[in-house]
Amino acid sequence: MVFSSLIFLFLFLPLTLGLYYITPKRFRNLTLFIVDLVFYSWGEPMLVVLMMVSVIINYVSGILIAVNREKKGLAKLFFILSIILNLGLLGFFKYAGFIGETLNFVLPFLNIPVLQVALPIGISFYTFQTMSYTIDVYRNTVKMQKNFITFGTYVSLFPQLIAGPIVRYEDVAEQLMNRRETLEQFTNGVKLFIIGLSKKILIANEMGVLWDGIRDAGASSGALGAWTGIIAYTFQIYFDFSGYSDMAIGLGRMFGFEFMKNFDYPYISKSVTEFWRRWHISLGTWFREYVYIPLGGNRRGLPRQLVNIAVVWFLTGLWHGASWNFILWGVYFGILLMIEKLFFLKLLKKLPSFVGHIYAIIIFVLGWVLFYFEDMGEMWIFIQRLFGSSGFMPSADTAALMISFLPLLIAAGIASTPLASFLYGKAKKGAVLYVFDTAACAAALLVCTASLVSSAYNPFLYFKF
Amino acid sequence: MKAKNILRYLPAVLFVAFISVFMLLFFILPKSDFSESEKRNLAEFPELNLTTLTDGSFQKNLDTYLSDHMPARKFFVGLDAAADLAEGKNGSNGIYLGSDGYLFPKPSKDSELLTKNAGFIKEFADDSDIPVYVTLIASSGYVNSGKLPPVHEEYRDKELIGSFASKLGDNAKFIDVTDRLYDMSENGQLYYRTDHHWTALGAYQCYRALGEKMGYEPLPEDAFSIEKQGGFYGTSYAKAALWTIAPDELELWSNKSASAGSVSVDIADGKETKHSDSYFFREQLENDDKYPVYLDGNHALETITNKDAKGGTLIVVKDSYAHTIVPFLSQNYSKIVMADLRYYKMDISALAEKENADGILILYSLDNMSTDGNLAYLY
Repeated sequence: MVFSSLIFLFLFLPLTLGLYYITPKRFRNLTLFIVDLVFYSWGEPMLVVLMMVSVIINYVSGILIAVNREKKGLAKLFFILSIILNLGLLGFFKYAGFIGETLNFVLPFLNIPVLQVALPIGISFYTFQTMSYTIDVYRNTVKMQKNFITFGTYVSLFPQLIAGPIVRYEDVAEQLMNRRETLEQFTNGVKLFIIGLSKKILIANEMGVLWDGIRDAGASSGALGAWTGIIAYTFQIYFDFSGYSDMAIGLGRMFGFEFMKNFDYPYISKSVTEFWRRWHISLGTWFREYVYIPLGGNRRGLPRQLVNIAVVWFLTGLWHGASWNFILWGVYFGILLMIEKLFFLKLLKKLPSFVGHIYAIIIFVLGWVLFYFEDMGEMWIFIQRLFGSSGFMPSADTAALMISFLPLLIAAGIASTPLASFLYGKAKKGAVLYVFDTAACAAALLVCTASLVSSAYNPFLYFKF
Repeated sequence: MKAKNILRYLPAVLFVAFISVFMLLFFILPKSDFSESEKRNLAEFPELNLTTLTDGSFQKNLDTYLSDHMPARKFFVGLDAAADLAEGKNGSNGIYLGSDGYLFPKPSKDSELLTKNAGFIKEFADDSDIPVYVTLIASSGYVNSGKLPPVHEEYRDKELIGSFASKLGDNAKFIDVTDRLYDMSENGQLYYRTDHHWTALGAYQCYRALGEKMGYEPLPEDAFSIEKQGGFYGTSYAKAALWTIAPDELELWSNKSASAGSVSVDIADGKETKHSDSYFFREQLENDDKYPVYLDGNHALETITNKDAKGGTLIVVKDSYAHTIVPFLSQNYSKIVMADLRYYKMDISALAEKENADGILILYSLDNMSTDGNLAYLY
């Protein structure tokens, strides 16, 4: 189930909220766990079993590691076993086909049969969540969780189950066992949810239409059209992903949880280093916490640090998808980060800030080209088009498409900056502001619902002819 | 709690009320099976059993069911269309809103089918013993280009029709009415505002233009009495979902001097047959879409005879644009046999021979000629 659907908004959510709040406090995790499983199995009726296997593996590992803490070897054995199982499941379901294809490409005589496994929704997210628990139990930074329901609720919590943020067990351990839902927090959650919903439906989906339209136009888009298209995709991916995170954090608050911020206006960055501090923060934190720092981080000299950056960014790329273009995308950022670390960041700081902005924008926009095209041939054609291989100006029809999206492109640009948030922060807290909040929420909710309903409105005009 | 505090939590109250009320309405409100504006059956409640649950089809179909039966669905669809318009995305449903309340379907694109269909007609005409006339009707957006919104895709109707005509060879006689429609659009409403079809006046202008090449004497405008019928909401209206647009008027043109019982219309659609002594099927005026009032809409084969007419027999191979012009042609041809290749899958030459026809007219809108794959059934 996705949040931006009628079934979620007008069936699942009201029922879940109702059930949750009539449940006595000590059984609320159980209620959540059950609705989580319904939520997940809605889209993946069979693969919910896989998620349960993952929950059980890590639940048992956590206990085995903790009770054998004194017997160092045994704890380590269980720890390594759980890592192998976690990565094994992820590897099998996400990367088996990719590895097979790559091996066949490099060593064609092997002729390995390539596995076609459907990617279970959210596996990359929940695997990383459960691993954060097991690793932290092993490192003795968190206590083991003896209550299976509590642990199951943590892993399968529906707000962040499918697309993050990747919540570390450490950050929510206390809230899982002890949380007080307040009307204040609930209201903030509603507002953030509606903001996220609007980002997804009103901006991301529309930018997707523009990007699709421009790709369909092919060579007739010209360089100007191609740049407009990739900028539309730049907005689409940000508003889609950050909208989803906002909805997740908002929903979490409705149930008394507080998750970490996942996006912090990444497109106002002045360097790649800054961009990655603002983009998908929970993933960056995970890799820093569980890969970069354990490898030694920046404490073992510059050469070692560069190797560590390379490893982290190769993995970051790979995490995003089982395809070479994602690895290319990760390596692209890895190299840029190394260059910035070596000297470029110091240079940038001496230059006026607009230089940094322009540099960062060009880098991440081009980055999205690598991210989007899984087919290297198509990617190359598109890159050439960006640099004028099919002329500069778009055809009249493509221009009409671009002009009709111009107001939304401008709105998306403004919404990528903290301007609105800044102005809102300046407003005086009081009745007027609360009425404004309510009116804005009502309007956004109506227009989002309209868009969802309308997408299924489908005049079947057999009498057209 | 102070009033100010209640206000503070109003967004939450509103949100919970909104989603709960709609859920309740969804459960309580009666469900209709058919959507008039979409002309389709709405989804039925999906079958619930272990198989449909595990393969996910129940979940998927429940989604469709919910969308189809959402309370206030028409309001939301209209709101979305209005929001698109406000955002500058005129045409996002495939329909442009122009001036004077005109709705225009987006232009047809050059297609391989258009070229292919020209080839089919050429071969058909090359083999025919009787004259084959061909005409294509340009779209509303081209003819009324002065009313289009400032930003729109190009309407290349004239160019596309010209290139189509050039591929027909010497034996098919193409009659170009594009310029006449374009020029006459200043003098009256040739296309509906809420529908892609031409009006009776539009068809009449074409009837005037065809006469010279086809060899008949068209009746003057004042030979007809005109009956007006309001409340027509066409297909463009249904697609655009801009519900505040005013409806169109339909005009039923009748020959003032027609003798009683001169006209007879016989419809054959598979095994079903229907007879009428009028070109106009008034029971169709009950629906939102009233265009089928002309000759009862689409049928495989329809025979129209007029005892008052002097001319011989004409075969018309057509789409629905013909329904408005055939009543005019019927003033000059004593018998018109109208075949729709989407439903009539038999040889047209054999039909012409059987009817002992004097000529064949192939009349399509440009839009349909570029998308219809049934021209292969000509021979």
